[in-house]
Amino acid sequence: MSHESALAIQAWALPVVKPLAGLEDSELVSAAAGGSREAFDVLVERHQRTVYQVCYRFVNNHEDASDLAQDAFVRAWRGLKTFKGQSALSTWLYRIAVNVCLNRVSAKGPAMEPIDATDHVADVRIEGAQHAMIREERAVAVRKAIASLPDKQRATLILRTYHDMSHQQIADVLGSSVGAVKANFFHALANLKKILGTEP
Amino acid sequence: MTHLSSDELIDAVEGLLPPERHAHLAACDVCQRELAGLSSVLSDAKHTSIPEPSPLFWQHFSERVRTAIDDDASQSGNWPSWIRWQVLAPIGVAAMIILGLMIAVPKQNPVDSPLALQAPEAPETLQASESWVMVTELVGNIDLDTASAAGVIEPGVAEQAVLHLTAEEQQELTRLLKAELQRAKS
Repeated sequence: MSHESALAIQAWALPVVKPLAGLEDSELVSAAAGGSREAFDVLVERHQRTVYQVCYRFVNNHEDASDLAQDAFVRAWRGLKTFKGQSALSTWLYRIAVNVCLNRVSAKGPAMEPIDATDHVADVRIEGAQHAMIREERAVAVRKAIASLPDKQRATLILRTYHDMSHQQIADVLGSSVGAVKANFFHALANLKKILGTEP
Repeated sequence: MTHLSSDELIDAVEGLLPPERHAHLAACDVCQRELAGLSSVLSDAKHTSIPEPSPLFWQHFSERVRTAIDDDASQSGNWPSWIRWQVLAPIGVAAMIILGLMIAVPKQNPVDSPLALQAPEAPETLQASESWVMVTELVGNIDLDTASAAGVIEPGVAEQAVLHLTAEEQQELTRLLKAELQRAKS
């Protein structure tokens, strides 16, 4: 038997074990729903940043955002068997994260950015980049203004502006209509304009 | 022509305004001002990043989630962890058999009571006692082995379940069975 044919038989006989990190979300979801924590770890690593960012935009501070993101993944683990793959996993995770945030926010009251969140403004000042400092101060003001919006307006603005979700996807996440999403988006922008005193 | 509605203003902000409304927008200062204000604030929001957590945070995050899932799993059942259908089903079957056996055991004849001799039995009581006699006849001869053979209970399931209980769980099971026996007696 030639060396090549021996290798071919070997390749055929041995099961191909794909590394988890190379699997699609849907494959990882199936594995995780079957109890594989390693598969779920890969999903967490893959989506942690976006879920954290949704949460941060909601609460405007790192501590609460990391708690909320963690909570969202715990709920995702609990609900994996109910995920039918009708939407992208990321959309499903957004929905969980938004619901976790809405529940927490209404339980805790309006979110505030802690004073230390503006510490890096001082770092920028040390660099001597006055323009960057002004921009960062503006960013702090915008984040604070977004965090002060009513829940649905905030959720709509965050998902539309930072996660590029369509009106229909946002409607699915929030359990509302496209019309309501557009109205919320309009009111979110109008309120931001009022709070920030933005002039064109 | 009417000013742009909030829906249309959002469409305009996103560059999706229907062509037939462009003419109004081009001619209306109010709508142009409104659109410019919304576009400006949206642009501000779009360019606002959030502070990036340290790389260490990301390295430990999945581990943190893993721990939280473990904690959640251990807290989720306020019910004792051994209360599962695999345990409860055999216990339930065993309890039913015990009840059946208790009913089958001959009781002291109530005729001994002088009152019983005088008072005629009410029709419902008579009917009920007839039903009990039938149940007794049906269940009385069934022991655990017969029930197993009939497929009511898989062989050895109850024993296996009991053998896998901890001392504390066995105590609890004893207590439950005693309580059940007590209730049946009374």
